[in-house]
Amino acid sequence: MSTAVQAPPAWDVAVDDAPVAISARGDLVAVAGAEGTVKVLDAALGAEIGALELPGGALRVELAPDARHLVATGPMGYALWRRTDGRTTVRESGAWSAAAAWAGPARMAVAVGRRALVLDADGGELWRTEPAASTVTDLAWLRQGRRLAVAAYGAVLGHERHTGQPVVTYPYVGSHLALAVAPTGKWICSGNQDASIHIWRTRDGSELTMSGYPEKVSRLAFDDTGFWLAADGAPDVTVWDFSGQGPAGTAPRSLRCHETVTALAWRPGAAGQLASGGADGTVALWHATAGRPQQLLRPARELEGNGSPVAALAWAGPHLLSVAWRDGRVRTYGVPSRTEL
Amino acid sequence: MPRTDPTSPRDERVPVTVLTGFLGSGKTTLLNRILTEQHGLKIAVIENEFGEVGIDDALVLDAEEEIFEMNNGCICCTVRGDLIRILGALMRRREKFDHILIETTGLADPAPVAQTFFMDDEIAAQLRLDAIVTLVDAAHVLQHLDEVKPEGVENEAVEQIAFADRIVLNKTDLADERTIAEVEQRVRAINAPVQILRARHAAIDLHQVLDVGAFDLERVLGDDPSFLTETEHQHDTTVTSVGIEIDGELDESRLNAWLGNLLRTKGVDLFRSKGILALAGAPKQYVFQGVHMLLDGSFGRDWRDGEVRRNRLVFIGRNLDREALERGFADCLATAGAVA
Repeated sequence: MSTAVQAPPAWDVAVDDAPVAISARGDLVAVAGAEGTVKVLDAALGAEIGALELPGGALRVELAPDARHLVATGPMGYALWRRTDGRTTVRESGAWSAAAAWAGPARMAVAVGRRALVLDADGGELWRTEPAASTVTDLAWLRQGRRLAVAAYGAVLGHERHTGQPVVTYPYVGSHLALAVAPTGKWICSGNQDASIHIWRTRDGSELTMSGYPEKVSRLAFDDTGFWLAADGAPDVTVWDFSGQGPAGTAPRSLRCHETVTALAWRPGAAGQLASGGADGTVALWHATAGRPQQLLRPARELEGNGSPVAALAWAGPHLLSVAWRDGRVRTYGVPSRTEL
Repeated sequence: MPRTDPTSPRDERVPVTVLTGFLGSGKTTLLNRILTEQHGLKIAVIENEFGEVGIDDALVLDAEEEIFEMNNGCICCTVRGDLIRILGALMRRREKFDHILIETTGLADPAPVAQTFFMDDEIAAQLRLDAIVTLVDAAHVLQHLDEVKPEGVENEAVEQIAFADRIVLNKTDLADERTIAEVEQRVRAINAPVQILRARHAAIDLHQVLDVGAFDLERVLGDDPSFLTETEHQHDTTVTSVGIEIDGELDESRLNAWLGNLLRTKGVDLFRSKGILALAGAPKQYVFQGVHMLLDGSFGRDWRDGEVRRNRLVFIGRNLDREALERGFADCLATAGAVA
């Protein structure tokens, strides 16, 4: 337990919407709200750099790795924003866009109904997948942006540019809600409606199911090393060890702070530090890989909220943590030390 | 399955009404009536049919039916992925709705819709299924009910009646009294405890279909004590209701074994079940209701002094064996072992 004095946030702003997603890249932080308000803010100061509206509401926002473009997705379509001139392009497809993922600074995939579209940074279509079995729920890139993993009902599909059909199918009956790909490329994991995590080893497609969660698993995140996976699905955040042969036969570490986990974000780097948010509004910072498997861990530090649920968390580099609460408050906290939280 | 506590002060969750019925039964008319009536409620509508509904005050969302199996070894445990998605996004908005209506197509299976409210914790925490309301076209429903389907294919009209908590028997101005009486009889043969509301142009008192608490354990079987009305089996219908009423106290472990086995082996064929039970040694009534294999139960009000400990339950389903059900339940009585 740290005894550090609670540091005031570096900045504190309010948006006129109920935030649902946050993205931080380079010197920018973007916040998207349930009613479709998207704000682009300066990560160091909180000053507004840009804004757009996505009709029908927003579900996700993703800044490009170089922070020069942004894509926001929602129940009625998606929208693109360009930093150089603030140009906004809204695509009201009428289809549910659950997710978007950048393959690099110039290319992204956007879920559009049962398909994924791969677009250039200004929205020009490069290629698209054939429809999946249901509305696409999540997307992730593998192989340095050459292969796109698409999660939908019944399977995770691997797509490449030359064909609309998947080049590889990872079947698992059930509703895949969230997708996480290890930065090592070794593992594909999905969080499921049936309260489990399903894991595939990409090398041979061998499978593993982590079941027994009390609730559906809708948030999954690998750290930068690809050795650690954090998941919700229980009051405790579970952290699985994916080093070596993977988590088969092992027990996770349990991080206890929240009644209901609403956000997860690994601090950039290899130190195994995690931020989590809860429905009670608290944000916890963790040395998430400390101790032994099956150990119950306590937060290194807690940031007190005001009771409104945490909507989303994102690290703007290793030293700034941005937090959005459902009531519209967005705060960014400085975490100066590399080793301390 | 979330357990509801009937003794808790007030259920703050937003009620959700499922509106179903064949094309032409008057769903859109009823929907428009609900949306335009001066009730002061803020309503959101989720439509599976691209409807003609366009009301300024209401949020109308379109959805395409997506049925997901739950991968838990229970083949009838399906949920509606589209509803989980849409309701989840709706609940994250700042504007709060007083009521949500889900309009399904006449071909939709009501079970996954209902089960979604029991299987997804995030939804169950914020929303409660209020009732399944089925619209029936008095002049045309008999031909739908009599339609012979290929082996293994559901007659959707029968299914939608079987699942209903309220039947709006619409277009009674277009059918003669004999036909209407026959329709009512046929509806009762399928779903004995359902409330039937006769209507013209879908004009009904909205209090009879909105916020009625049909899935509320406190109100299980409360609004229709005559559910046991014996129906004649004049029609060769495979979907029927079996009502059981027996005085006496039940042995809890035997009841659990019987009910557990029944749901495991017959869950696919059991559409709806509900009951009020007297457990041996319990001062309170035990109330339960279920959809297929999912059962929600808890203790209700106290048995009154001198009140007869009477068990009342009803099963609605396909190919129900009345005698086997009656016998199986009677064997759960605490006194049953001694007699045998």
